[in-house]
Amino acid sequence: MSFDTIIQIEEIAREYEMGGSKINALDGVNLEIGRGEYVSIVGPSGSGKTTLFNLIGGLDRPTHGVVYIDGVDISKLDAYELAWLRCRKIGYIFQTFNLIPVLTATENVALPTVFAGVPRDEGLKRAEKILTSVGLGDRLHHKPGELSAGQQQRVAIARAMANDPAIILADEPTGNLDLNTGMEIIDLLHGLNKSRGMTLIAATHDLKMIKASDRIVWMRDGKIEKIERG
Amino acid sequence: MTNAEQDSRVQFGLGDAARLGYDYIIRRFNRASINIASIALGIAFLSTLLMSDSLYRAYALAGGERLGVETYQYWLMFVALIVSVVGITNAMLITVFERYREIGTMKCLGAMDRHILLLFLVESIIQGFAGGLAGYLLGLIGAVLSTGFSIGFTAILMVPIAEFITLLLGSVALSMVLCGVATLYPAYRAAKLHPVEALNYEL
Repeated sequence: MSFDTIIQIEEIAREYEMGGSKINALDGVNLEIGRGEYVSIVGPSGSGKTTLFNLIGGLDRPTHGVVYIDGVDISKLDAYELAWLRCRKIGYIFQTFNLIPVLTATENVALPTVFAGVPRDEGLKRAEKILTSVGLGDRLHHKPGELSAGQQQRVAIARAMANDPAIILADEPTGNLDLNTGMEIIDLLHGLNKSRGMTLIAATHDLKMIKASDRIVWMRDGKIEKIERG
Repeated sequence: MTNAEQDSRVQFGLGDAARLGYDYIIRRFNRASINIASIALGIAFLSTLLMSDSLYRAYALAGGERLGVETYQYWLMFVALIVSVVGITNAMLITVFERYREIGTMKCLGAMDRHILLLFLVESIIQGFAGGLAGYLLGLIGAVLSTGFSIGFTAILMVPIAEFITLLLGSVALSMVLCGVATLYPAYRAAKLHPVEALNYEL
């Protein structure tokens, strides 16, 4: 399968200062990710996975190098454009779900549509539709605290999809789930990747998640160790 | 990004902030009620003094004895209001710490710094509205009791309605302004949070 490029990473490095000494969290990483591709990023903690994630997601800026998303150098974006990128182009899924506890499932999913300027009724309607499509049609008005871990992650996935982003960034999405629930979440994500053509980039330790992917990027000490086809 | 895409930019208006702020207040009412109580007490003190004063003046006009509120009482009130403001700043700072992760998440979902700022300010100003109203009512009770015992409860029937209404509007407005001012620093801190740090923060 071939893909046209959606993300291009050129020679990025990210240094941190810690107690006066410099740490290279990322050191000269090159990577190209195709539209609709499913890429797993694997590596021990401290290998630079999360840093790479934050750079792709526009949450952090590289010390050197460039990240292009759809041909745009994202380090050149101003605060407005960056917020736009995070809002419309990228959907985030976290290990700890990070739902807003005071809002219901529907309101959580509708939150990104608020930032996207979608009228409230339309946003809520869209949220209900997405929640139903991830199998939570009977949990629309529950708060996160009233949902199981797997259900919470489904809400988080629905939220990531709310503005129909081109890219989904999932940081250890099965890390806090038991085996079976984790399997369901993987199937859901994989299904979305295939049916909607969303580019899925997942940092993971989960072997089943790695197996489902098109490519596996192995990271070590801030560098790409090897890239395998899935 | 194309021009067409640029047109539909990130939005988060006053209405959205108010709705979300209201949700936070209702669903985390314990914390909000501390803030509301804090500002309400300050405002109650203020309105008791001003209402008593206005009742005394009405009483004097009607030929009664000339009584008044002592200057030191105004000073006490001033201090009470400052204490309220500091208390609210403190409580809102704790609120910001508690919500680090949520703030980080919102930034990932497309919230900009000023949206976060707006959210916290609006939430606090709503609390100020509630606190101002509650404070005014408490103050009214306080004024009626304190003047009632000194000039007699029948004298209270001479209540200058217009002044009391002005005072109601003034108290609520002052309460909202004070809550807003008290929350400037906590809201600014929340807004300036770096999303990566906010997400990784463990309370």
